[in-house]
Amino acid sequence: MPDPVLSEPRKSPARQGRWRGAGLAVLLLLGAAALTGSTQAPGEALPGGSLRVDAAGCGTPPAHLPAGRLSFAVTNGDKVFASIYVVSPDGSLAYAEIPWLGPNKTLPLATTLTGGDYAIRCVFSNGTVRTSRTVRVSGTATGAVAGYRPLSDLEMTGPVKAYRAYVTAAFPGLLAATRTLEADLTRGDLAAAKTDWLTAHLEYERLGAAYHSFGEYDDAINGMANGLPQGMDSPQWTGFFALEHGLWHGAPVSRLQQLGRRLVADIVNLRQDFPSEDTDPGDLSLRAHEILENALQFQLGGIADYGSGTTLATLSANIQGTQEDLSVLAPVLSPRDPELLSQLNQQLAAYSTEVTSHRSASGVWTPVTRLDASQRRRLDGDLGHLLEELAAVPNLLTPRNHA
Amino acid sequence: MNAPHTPAPGGCPMAAGQAEPLRRRSFLRGATLGATVGAAVGAGALAGAVTAAAEPGPGPSGRLIPFHGPHQAGITTPQQAAASFVAFTVIGRDRGGLLGLFQTLTDRIRALTAGGPVPATDLASPPSDSATLGPVLPADGLTVTVAVGASLFDGRYGLATRKPAKLVPMPVFPDDDLVGSRELHGDIMLQICADSRDTVMHALRDITRHTRGAMQASWKVDGFHAAPRPSGTPRNQLGFKDGIANPDVGDGSVADAVLWTHGGSSGEPAWVEGGSYQVVRIIRMLVEFWDRVSLHEQENMIGRRRDSGAPLDGTRESDPPDYHADPLGLLTPMNAHIRLANPRTQATANQQILRRAYNYERGLDLDGNLDVGLVFCCYQQDVARQFQAVQHRLAGEPLVDYISPTGGGYFFALPGVTGPDDHLGSALLA
Repeated sequence: MPDPVLSEPRKSPARQGRWRGAGLAVLLLLGAAALTGSTQAPGEALPGGSLRVDAAGCGTPPAHLPAGRLSFAVTNGDKVFASIYVVSPDGSLAYAEIPWLGPNKTLPLATTLTGGDYAIRCVFSNGTVRTSRTVRVSGTATGAVAGYRPLSDLEMTGPVKAYRAYVTAAFPGLLAATRTLEADLTRGDLAAAKTDWLTAHLEYERLGAAYHSFGEYDDAINGMANGLPQGMDSPQWTGFFALEHGLWHGAPVSRLQQLGRRLVADIVNLRQDFPSEDTDPGDLSLRAHEILENALQFQLGGIADYGSGTTLATLSANIQGTQEDLSVLAPVLSPRDPELLSQLNQQLAAYSTEVTSHRSASGVWTPVTRLDASQRRRLDGDLGHLLEELAAVPNLLTPRNHA
Repeated sequence: MNAPHTPAPGGCPMAAGQAEPLRRRSFLRGATLGATVGAAVGAGALAGAVTAAAEPGPGPSGRLIPFHGPHQAGITTPQQAAASFVAFTVIGRDRGGLLGLFQTLTDRIRALTAGGPVPATDLASPPSDSATLGPVLPADGLTVTVAVGASLFDGRYGLATRKPAKLVPMPVFPDDDLVGSRELHGDIMLQICADSRDTVMHALRDITRHTRGAMQASWKVDGFHAAPRPSGTPRNQLGFKDGIANPDVGDGSVADAVLWTHGGSSGEPAWVEGGSYQVVRIIRMLVEFWDRVSLHEQENMIGRRRDSGAPLDGTRESDPPDYHADPLGLLTPMNAHIRLANPRTQATANQQILRRAYNYERGLDLDGNLDVGLVFCCYQQDVARQFQAVQHRLAGEPLVDYISPTGGGYFFALPGVTGPDDHLGSALLA
């Protein structure tokens, strides 16, 4: 008999697609930030001047500039797009950027530099790379930006492979746990199903970085009721949350069995499909903070609690997913900011301990609605602090090829 | 129109090696790791922002209110148009975390109130500023006044012996409606005021971002300062001019007698010199009910004319009422609000409080009635001798049927930050 549960794309807690379309927006924002950081007071021109760049050269900046805020008005005189950077003369560090400058367009390349030698680098979209003469900045400036080793997108190949291997290795456990759940439902043993639901759900939530890579499978497997025409009463609602709602709200066993079968089928299909799905390298660094941004909103906020009161368990699994994400990124993160990586690892471990302290010795998690005010403020504040730190990862790991 | 506070270029002392570019994240990291590091980084970033500014923007209002001084700004400062009162729980693990919090607060308030271009963003960070005020921060009359609650002096930070002598949790007064309130007390209270609402919002967003993990907001109420209608003292939501009879704290001897705390006197610890007790109360006004009351009854409850603000025995709002000439309350009833609050006797002269209240409005209650009222705020030298004595006298006044106090707390506004090397709480934590 055909399963009546339909397959339609739905809103998932991962806010799918927010960043895919936003890839360009992120770049634009970075550009805007660079611009913002140094807008001068009216009537006061900042040191720097105009630079006209093209395939022949990356402009002629002044040989000497004073330390402090400065801004170059860069015009792309070429026929192709260009990325413009302030770099160290050997190109080992990048300080500021115009991520994307169209032909015949002018944008400010602005930042605050302290004393040292710098150069302007132009990377044209046809592969041409040009570097200006050295600019010697003299004096010292407070508020000067630090330089960072630019990332080439090829460097993300290793982390993507490692991440895919992690997911591939996790599938059997996820599938086995889900089949156990389905078997409970088939037997009509709802008490066992409630326990095994959590095991299977956490297996999935632990994948963390996976959301986007899973495309519409994630909607079917882990979609929330928000965005569905009849909310929790929508017949097309499937996945872990639909099952949770049904299990904890006395849904007919036949409905639960349907949902269980459908869940197993979706996970089987996901596993079969995964090898042919691309993993966007940019997603890995975005997930470093997005997994827990979602956890703050939906798990600590309690929105994703459909009855089991286990959103802290989900948060705990999401921490593990973030830890896995950082571990695959470690080879590219560590040479750029080793201190950041060790700090993040330490904070994640501490936060994991804090979250786990809300699980009883018998394994029962405290529902977020039963946290007292001081427990909640600590969980919220510590996660917020962690997120402020994690927010550096995507910026640090934005591909800046040939910068 | 430019303020005196424009640091000389390079005026901020730099530690050796600090010319090394700073990574912005270090600021946050420093906040929990160790106070001194965090402070140095913050100060450095700040000095950059200010010294790099050719012209720190004074903002549309043209007001830059100096941050440094023996007392915090925002107490005797003439009231700005917009305010937020935000209570926080300190969640730092130890005294070092608390010190770092006060240093970060100091750095951010100093930078925000000075205005100027926001610092450049490095390639490894999200934007250094939200840009809700544009790329150059206006000073815009911004003040951020930091006060501490009695709970900060529990065992967590080893401050039990440092508590200001009169600082207690706000008691429940007989006419209060505090059962179930989620807007009570706090370790820290920030009073953020500016000439524009978005400047207040920007400051709060910046401060919470930089102090995440060190303190967590627990409740917040926003207020607005009405324009004079048509002149004189602004009106509250009962339609009456409110705050007419404030003590003249521009007179140093008055301020020293009723406003500022003094170390070593009245049992106060030495560190409180230049501080002030702050009372914040969310007082809902049941305006639908009020609007069904006759003007005569309204005026007798308040003790002033509604149109002019004059006392019932006077003609102008500035006229002092003469209760000696009206001992039986024939003109001004004995239980009129202003007569109970300030009987104008010698015995009550030292009970005067500096009121700095704002109107609030925030949606509807379950019955569809307006949730509007007053964010009452006052400052004083001794909360027991002043606010509390007045409040006890007001118990059962006729006005209580039309108001509903639903939250608030007692706090102590810290002494001022004396200069670039000082920070909030320096004397407390010394």
